[in-house]
Amino acid sequence: MRRIRLLIWILVALALVGMGLLLLNRRPMPEPAITITGTSFGGPFTLVGADGQQFASTRLAGKPYAIFFGFTHCPDVCPTTLARLARLRKELGRGDDAFNIVFVSVDPEQDGPKEVGSYSTAFGSPVIGLTGSPAQIDRVKKQYGIFSEKVPQGDSYTVDHSAAVLLFDRDGAFQSTISADEQDAPAMDKLRQLTA
Amino acid sequence: MKRIIAALALFLAACGPKGSGATEIRVADAWARATAPDKKATAAYFTIANSGGAHDALVAVASSIGPAEVHSTSMDGGIMRMRKLDRLAVPKGATVKLEPGGTHVMLTGLVEPVKVGGNVDLTLRFEKSGERKVAAAVRDSSGGQM
Repeated sequence: MRRIRLLIWILVALALVGMGLLLLNRRPMPEPAITITGTSFGGPFTLVGADGQQFASTRLAGKPYAIFFGFTHCPDVCPTTLARLARLRKELGRGDDAFNIVFVSVDPEQDGPKEVGSYSTAFGSPVIGLTGSPAQIDRVKKQYGIFSEKVPQGDSYTVDHSAAVLLFDRDGAFQSTISADEQDAPAMDKLRQLTA
Repeated sequence: MKRIIAALALFLAACGPKGSGATEIRVADAWARATAPDKKATAAYFTIANSGGAHDALVAVASSIGPAEVHSTSMDGGIMRMRKLDRLAVPKGATVKLEPGGTHVMLTGLVEPVKVGGNVDLTLRFEKSGERKVAAAVRDSSGGQM
């Protein structure tokens, strides 16, 4: 009897060791696209607006904003995301003032003020297009936990980048994100909450 | 005379249906997104249905307005990655959809703006079925879902 009990305990110990090994050897989780570090997440920042003038984040104060990072040569995800935000804002039914839509280029080499300016007019609804010097863009990317990386493609390049929309309330505090593959209904809930 | 008959037979064989393993490729719902002002790139989308008895694949796309490439879009931990696809499989019995946020045809090097109301002529080359031509209707940035 004692021997059986000992055997069972040995088996339990082996199982625990096995589970521990499995946990240790598990494939590492993919790096989260957005790393949130306490209260400093988000602004303040200074970038360059479509008029070529400095654009300070204080100009966003007093109104919630949805911020998205992309590049104007992006043919698919960027226009899809911005057009969707514009459509959801319309469906919210409280006009363009309900919240600001902010587009920041992660490709400042190709996207000057003129490029982000004209790009931002393509969605039938006001979008604040911003760019800046590579150093300014790098700083803002860090503040907002945004990853981006140029990838050569033929004789040009594409830019891999975080594709989530980040939502900030009227005091500039981070509230939530809308991911690219999120359905309209939960996204709408978040926008309602944001603008409540 | 024999030679003429042989040539004729060859000609007819080339024109005729390809036998039991033939693919039946249909391309529908083609549309392209209007370009933002001054932009030289945009995307086009369509649906490919293969109702035949053999697998096929889309291997090239040409457009009437500039270079075209099939691209995949993938999300990897929230990061969007766009890559050129040399071959888009269209298995037998399958319907493959190119749509916003997913696989798309990237149109680049555009000289003229792509405007709502116009068409972009696309020529799709399939591994087995050869070429298909479609006219992609140009819609606004939302894909006409506004």
